[in-house]
Amino acid sequence: MMPQFSEDSIKKVHEMMSHYPPGKHKSALLGVLHLAQEEFGGWLDVPVMDYVAGLLKIEPIEVYEVASFYSMYNLKPVGKYLFEVCQTGPCMLNGSDDIIAYIKEKLGIGVGETTADGLFTLKTVECLGACGYAPMMQQGKHYREHLTKEKVDAIIAEYRAKAN
Amino acid sequence: MEGIRYFDTYRREGGYRSVEKALKMAPADIVEEVKKSGLRGRGGAGFPTGMKWSFLAKPEGVPRYLVCNADESEPGTFKDRYLMEFIPHILIEGMIVASFALGSNVSYIYIRGEYAWIVDILEQAIAEAKQKGFLGKNILGSGFDCEIYVHRGAGAYICGEETALLESLEGKRGNPRIKPPFPAVKGLYDCPTVVNNVETLAAVVPIINEGGEEYAKIGVGKSTGTKLISACGNINKPGVYEIDMTISVEEFIYSDEYCGGIPKGRKLKACIPGGSSVPILPANLLLTTAKGEKRIMNYESLSDGGFATGTMMGSGGFIVLDDSQCVVRHTYTLARFYRHESCGQCSPCREGTGWMEKILLNIENGKGKMSDIDLLWDIQRKIEGNTICPLGDAAAWPVAAAIRHFRDEFEWHVKNPEECLKTNYGLAHYADPIHVPVSA
Repeated sequence: MMPQFSEDSIKKVHEMMSHYPPGKHKSALLGVLHLAQEEFGGWLDVPVMDYVAGLLKIEPIEVYEVASFYSMYNLKPVGKYLFEVCQTGPCMLNGSDDIIAYIKEKLGIGVGETTADGLFTLKTVECLGACGYAPMMQQGKHYREHLTKEKVDAIIAEYRAKAN
Repeated sequence: MEGIRYFDTYRREGGYRSVEKALKMAPADIVEEVKKSGLRGRGGAGFPTGMKWSFLAKPEGVPRYLVCNADESEPGTFKDRYLMEFIPHILIEGMIVASFALGSNVSYIYIRGEYAWIVDILEQAIAEAKQKGFLGKNILGSGFDCEIYVHRGAGAYICGEETALLESLEGKRGNPRIKPPFPAVKGLYDCPTVVNNVETLAAVVPIINEGGEEYAKIGVGKSTGTKLISACGNINKPGVYEIDMTISVEEFIYSDEYCGGIPKGRKLKACIPGGSSVPILPANLLLTTAKGEKRIMNYESLSDGGFATGTMMGSGGFIVLDDSQCVVRHTYTLARFYRHESCGQCSPCREGTGWMEKILLNIENGKGKMSDIDLLWDIQRKIEGNTICPLGDAAAWPVAAAIRHFRDEFEWHVKNPEECLKTNYGLAHYADPIHVPVSA
């Protein structure tokens, strides 16, 4: 089935397109892809990208090349909650290696994998600009900072409770 | 300050005065004030802002654009985030003044995609400013129209490079453009464009309020005004600090007013003072220049001695390593970062960053050879200066500096393949006299 944005999202798409000069609506592509990823299950399937191309009246390849370039777009399915843990220098100095190992152990998955119940996906990312609050991870729209094993436990419990 | 994120408090505290003042000035005079202030781009390159503005081409009938670079992605750097999250109106205010000076009726804030919640904060600030008549049509009856829009990126360090940023703003992959033409002539949608960092645009506010000459009185030499430093790594008080560029590096690290020293009674081993791209320095060269002078937190002093014994101010991303840290491992994470972030256009960077990452990981894992160290040196030299954009240099410099100053630590890994998995090299180098290899 062809994906279809909600009425509200369509409004947002038109609002985004209005930010750019006439004929330059391709500029809205990054924003529309964020919206699509939120609305269509946390990742960008080919039919979704084709749908976005149609909305913006651009070629599908123009969408594919953008979607594959930026690290925030997921081109494969992800769990309901995506943990994106920073592993670059400043986070490493503050123990991000241990945090990543702990999350792996706790969830029983490797980096890039999703738990069997489809709840959690673990991804490592490069510097998210939270170096003073390391170690940290991004979950959805927000940062979870100053991570410790106890904090990781609490975060996982929080999302498990949310999912039930 | 409580409520400073919102218009009413910000305004009550003197906000938006610079817009009232600037709209009564001639745009060229505003550019002149910024020139007089000596303000240098706060994104990392340190290029004089007033000069950048004066390069903007002004052909008849062609729109001009101001774009704010809020793609802050240089490891160690989180100062713009602080400004936008807590004092968003200072950026909006600076952008209105800059837009008027440059003749931009539509200006954009390009913000890194991960700062998703800050997009909401900025959009709210823009809506408030518009409601109060500081944005939109005929601002304060001046006849000047200006809109500001927030454009969210999607995860790509390279989009902090201004031409990659413009590509991304046009809805494309963030591949840097070949320069010239520079954005001042052909930028966004092929129109003349100025791209300025968040902190740079925020600095325009005091420059207009107090005048360029007053602003230039703060600081020393060509390091005028104040600079935000985001301090992180092994320090007691990580965070964002505003400094006037006259304090010493030693004071910055050890004073309770700033970093508060090194935790757990550990010792300072090394520091990258300006974001991950700038050369790492061992403690001795960090605190004192090769000439034996106290090193100061400003553009000139930090770069004293060139790359042989100095480093750079860069973005102000101040990363401290204590004596329990491994320089090889730290350099490896940076090399991995640059491999991940290379856009892939230029072969030296696309291939070289991957080679450096693999070799560094081998050395770190006790599988390195002595010749690998020279190979790393050779690769970084062949990347530097041979790419379209500065990402190549940014990837080469950390590796070069790590070998230049910590070669003994690399050799120790090679000679002690088992021990290096269990312990770290520690502080040995710190005690060494300053030693610079001829190849530097």
